[in-house]
Amino acid sequence: KLHPTSLNFLGLFSLPERALLLVLVLVFLQGSVLPLGAASSPDVSHQDKTDNHKVEAQGHNYTKKAFPVLSIDYHYIQTPFEISLWVLLASLMKLGFHLIPRLSSIVPESCLLIVVGLLVGGLIKLAGEQVPPVMNTRLFFLCLLPPIILDAGYFLPIRPFMENLGTILMFAVVGTLWNAFFIGGLLYAVCQIQPDNPSSLHQIELLPCLLFGSIISAVDPVAVLAVFEEIHINELLHILVFGESLLNDAVTVVLYHLFEEYSGIGTVSVLDGFLGVISFLVVALGGVLVGAIYGILAAFTSRFTSHTRVIEPLFVFVYSYMAYLSAEMFHLSGIMALIACGAVMRPYVEANISHKSHTTIKYFLKMWSSVSETLIFIFLGVATVDGPHNWNWTFVTVTVILCLVARVIGVVGLTYVINKFRIVKLTTKDQFIVAYGGLRGAIAFSLGFLLDPAHFAMREMFLTAIITVIFFTVFVQGMTIKPLVELLAVKKKQEAKRSINEEIHTQFLDHLLTGIEDICGHYGHHHWKDKLNRFNKKYVKKCLIAGERSKEPQLIAFYHKMEMKQAIELVESGGGVKLPAAMPSTVSMQNIQPKKPPPALPPERALPQLSKGREEEIRKILRSNLQRTRQRLRSYNRHTLVADPYEDGLNDFLIKKQKIIELEKKITEMNNYLTVPSAPPDSPTITRARLASDPQAYSVKPTSDSVPTIQVDLASPQSPDSVNLMDEFRNARQPEQDEDRGLMMKPPSEAKGPKRPEDAEGAKDQQRLMRCLSDPGPSADEDEDEPFLP
Amino acid sequence: MKISPAHIIRLYDRFEFLDKEGSGQLRLEDFAEVKELAMNPIGDRIIGAFFSPGQETVDFPSFVRILAHFRPTDKNRAKDSTQPEPVNSRTSKLKFAFQLYDQDRDGKISRAELLQVLREMLGMQVTEEQLESIADRAIQEADLDRDDAISFEEFRKSLEKVNIEHKMSIRFLR
Repeated sequence: KLHPTSLNFLGLFSLPERALLLVLVLVFLQGSVLPLGAASSPDVSHQDKTDNHKVEAQGHNYTKKAFPVLSIDYHYIQTPFEISLWVLLASLMKLGFHLIPRLSSIVPESCLLIVVGLLVGGLIKLAGEQVPPVMNTRLFFLCLLPPIILDAGYFLPIRPFMENLGTILMFAVVGTLWNAFFIGGLLYAVCQIQPDNPSSLHQIELLPCLLFGSIISAVDPVAVLAVFEEIHINELLHILVFGESLLNDAVTVVLYHLFEEYSGIGTVSVLDGFLGVISFLVVALGGVLVGAIYGILAAFTSRFTSHTRVIEPLFVFVYSYMAYLSAEMFHLSGIMALIACGAVMRPYVEANISHKSHTTIKYFLKMWSSVSETLIFIFLGVATVDGPHNWNWTFVTVTVILCLVARVIGVVGLTYVINKFRIVKLTTKDQFIVAYGGLRGAIAFSLGFLLDPAHFAMREMFLTAIITVIFFTVFVQGMTIKPLVELLAVKKKQEAKRSINEEIHTQFLDHLLTGIEDICGHYGHHHWKDKLNRFNKKYVKKCLIAGERSKEPQLIAFYHKMEMKQAIELVESGGGVKLPAAMPSTVSMQNIQPKKPPPALPPERALPQLSKGREEEIRKILRSNLQRTRQRLRSYNRHTLVADPYEDGLNDFLIKKQKIIELEKKITEMNNYLTVPSAPPDSPTITRARLASDPQAYSVKPTSDSVPTIQVDLASPQSPDSVNLMDEFRNARQPEQDEDRGLMMKPPSEAKGPKRPEDAEGAKDQQRLMRCLSDPGPSADEDEDEPFLP
Repeated sequence: MKISPAHIIRLYDRFEFLDKEGSGQLRLEDFAEVKELAMNPIGDRIIGAFFSPGQETVDFPSFVRILAHFRPTDKNRAKDSTQPEPVNSRTSKLKFAFQLYDQDRDGKISRAELLQVLREMLGMQVTEEQLESIADRAIQEADLDRDDAISFEEFRKSLEKVNIEHKMSIRFLR
């Protein structure tokens, strides 16, 4: 008999500890289920099945078994089930870490995940079962890595990347080469000088050593991302280390294949070396080319998706993935292809797709990359437990030391050379962070795993050393980098909310510098950037961007984005009821009364009080309107998005800009400026207004003339934010009916006058957004503030 | 301010190239010869910056003096307040840019001046209303003392996150 108090012991624990307990229990459960799955091997089950079938086929002569009411058929669902279990485990772990408050600030997530992997692996081993071979190289390279890289590439901040491209390439190419040869060569030397007793190190030849060096020398993007994301370092350093980790893939690929091919033979001739250099160029540039082609294809496709908004994100994902696979097919650098594809397609795709698709893409990418990253680290832990290991003290410790030393020397040496060419030099602090941030990760492990045991007898030793280096860099360097950053007072990432001023002045300065360069006759950075921009504007944008937006200048696009963002914030902050004190709210109402001459009021926009009768009328109108719209939204198809006519009409709208202006001129003539003073927050007017601006109540088809509709315009005289609801557009679309439609009431400041078309636009954008609601997701909003092209 | 002799020679070669008449002075027409400047939206302003008010020609020292603004900043320069601000410091660069906006030299960028710049940069692609709303927004953001114009300090503040030393430097002139 369960006594109630026996369960009360849970009350002793606080909430996070309870959560942790829950998580641990789940881990144990999963740990026990997995061996269950692993226990019965697939072919046995298959055999059983065929036996059963045979039995059943001959069956009816045999004794009739009782009809199975409930049976378990694990093998039917085994593989997807296990995959889902792993993903679930990964996600729950992530949840769990963030519930424990202090832990996640001391220990980077990657370390915790590796530990979890170790635990799970250990559990499985304890249960006596075969650890599932999770760190399958194909799984890693084809499923786990692409989402992370795509996420990085799509949101790559292009401007700092391009500005520092020379530096990044130097670190990536020359730095990795240096690392590989230094480590490989010195390891070989160390192995050779080993006294002959128990070690088998003598047998390792030069080429395998160099191969090992090339595997271990590459800085890993996954690990760098995982750690650097948490320390919020300044943009320059972030892009340097991160860019290096992405671009060194080409070098790694070439070196790996080169040494692997020739390890069997034992020598590499000069010709092979030369071919290697050519191969490097082919791999790198080929990868970028493949990526760019797919990127352009994706951009072009997105031009036509205005009628099928639902599958827009799919194109982005599929084209990128195909770019990756195509590059891998030719042994080109898949990572560079993916980065190129994402970076190339982004400006054009974003101009073409709906806001919701944009949000979808962002969220899916972040979600997949997050899950992938988590899984990778967990699998690393599991694979560590699995082994096979061959621990050799000398080899491992020498490797670790050499990695560190090589990295430091490499960075210092390269910076010395690079600083001669840089305008803004890299300081010692910067160099330290770059050197310290050279983390190794799962790519190195997978490459090691890929080695053929037949050719490489010392594969296990290599793997052990690789894992040790990974653990060292991730744990030691990963954990200490945050305090070191604080200690050294390295500049942190600035919360970049790009202001319109920055944007205007930056463009101005771009033009200025281009002009100065032209005067000097110096074809520098700005000159080529300007040429590229011009080319882009003249030809490329026309091809790849649908409709009117192809002509939209960068500044305007940026301005619109800003306005939309502010509008979202306005809606989020309580629907406008709690407007910040600096902005007095004036609620202007548009009352459309068909076929009734508007009551005359003095045009100086005095502030009359609304008569009680009028208020009642307005309330009635709002109420009836709401009911109507609610009914209209009842039926919808699962596959269509909530109808967004204004979204699709963006292009039409832009085309009809002129019409709106003309229209408004007409309206102003018969205009009636009725303004309502800012009502106290709980007045029924504002409550109704809030309801009217409720996205759920949004009406689709405002064609009925007989229903007077109220447009609630929360506006402030100082900011152009206005939450216009509907009817500006309706007016725009039905210009012939505007004579009767009447009144447009504006807030009293005259600065608002010329803003009306802009309001209309802003409002229109805001309507799109009001459906999308808020975006409380991952950070990096400043990525989106980047202009289309640098 | 130490431009290396090699650079000075390069600049002088360029000066001579631009000076089609060989008069030792550059005139407006010489600048207009530079093709790319014609396509530059603010090309006229830039050319105007070379000519001191009232002057109609630019001699070589003035030419160099203006271009010296774009030398990369020497970060390690000791902050010596007795010495005048070097011409390529961040402040000087910003002042140069500011003066390009502020054509009437009253120390403020008025709304009209900002509108003018926007009109030049965005050209025919936008409506007047859009320009005005952008200008209004920009002033509203930057204008801290509410005088409806952007002073140099406000200008400087709005650009504090931008890496001016990098952005306004040409490596050529090191």
